[in-house]
Amino acid sequence: MKSPFEGKLVRLRAWEPEDEPSIFRWINDPEVTEYLNARYPFSHSQERDWLVRAGTPGYGQASFAVETLGGARLIGSCGLNASTPENRSASLGIVIGEKDCWDGGYGTDTMRAVCRFGFEQMNLHRIELDVFVPNERARHVYEKIGFVTEGVRRHAHFQSGRYFDYVIMGLLDGELRLD
Amino acid sequence: MKSPFEGRLIRLRAREPEDEPLLFRWINDPEVTENFVIRYPMSHAQERAFIDSCAKPGYERAAFAVETLAEGTLIGGVDLGRTSPENRSASLGIAIGDKSRWDSGYGTDTMITVCRFGFEMMNLHRIELAVYARNARARHVYEKVGFKVEGRLRDGRYKFGEYDDVIVMGLLQRELVTR
Repeated sequence: MKSPFEGKLVRLRAWEPEDEPSIFRWINDPEVTEYLNARYPFSHSQERDWLVRAGTPGYGQASFAVETLGGARLIGSCGLNASTPENRSASLGIVIGEKDCWDGGYGTDTMRAVCRFGFEQMNLHRIELDVFVPNERARHVYEKIGFVTEGVRRHAHFQSGRYFDYVIMGLLDGELRLD
Repeated sequence: MKSPFEGRLIRLRAREPEDEPLLFRWINDPEVTENFVIRYPMSHAQERAFIDSCAKPGYERAAFAVETLAEGTLIGGVDLGRTSPENRSASLGIAIGDKSRWDSGYGTDTMITVCRFGFEMMNLHRIELAVYARNARARHVYEKVGFKVEGRLRDGRYKFGEYDDVIVMGLLQRELVTR
């Protein structure tokens, strides 16, 4: 039986307090957060608080730690948040915090695993996300797995001395490309 | 535009503190509560606490007062509760407390209106309910509206010195018979 938490390279699991040093390192690394909505330095207590909130995954906040299948190494974070049951829609966020895992297929596999979870286990109809226009690596991954560009929020974000456009992308149940 | 809260005879609205005297009278009338789960007398404090708990109808508990369209008179209540967003299912409970409105279509109209609300506004896939085997009036209404008998909990209830079976019924999104 195919585990609902596993892809081909990664496994989704719940967050644990012991994960704090990793997420602290990622969230304070400007290379990792370049295209995330994270402007300020984060404190340990902020990260510990976040872990408490994220530590009980459920319909309203399905937050997952991402670890490698072989080795169970914690490499990133993903989540389906702000789910509205009437609309059956959720907002997706993802970070691969370990930079040596970039461009190795981990992002794509994580996206497939979390979207499959959202459709098959949470009974979602729609998953949406925002991505910065210059974040080509991410946009390519999202398009590869089936996300459709739906709009552009112009100058929706200011960071690093400039405005960024956000691309809004959406994926409906049945559109996820698993290979 | 057809109001999502209105049927032909009744309107659904939120319960209010001012409803307490009527609700108190009904909930302590054994003729009214004969086919309810209620078995103990209820105090004013309990009734007020119940109304407070219904004060914000939402997905987890879509709690309604039922009033007549013609006069705006409160005649009962109906609730969709124990809602599961993943299963898209909810449990229905209905009580027409005003005995003068029994056997004149108010119960049927309330059932149709609240089920329509559950399917069209809450995007439910399934509504279920439990009814006592001896409650022929209610069983007839539920079947008329499209509910199917799914199970029978033998001796599921003890009241008035004897056991009765509890019948479990379910209605799926496209099965509602509006007339």
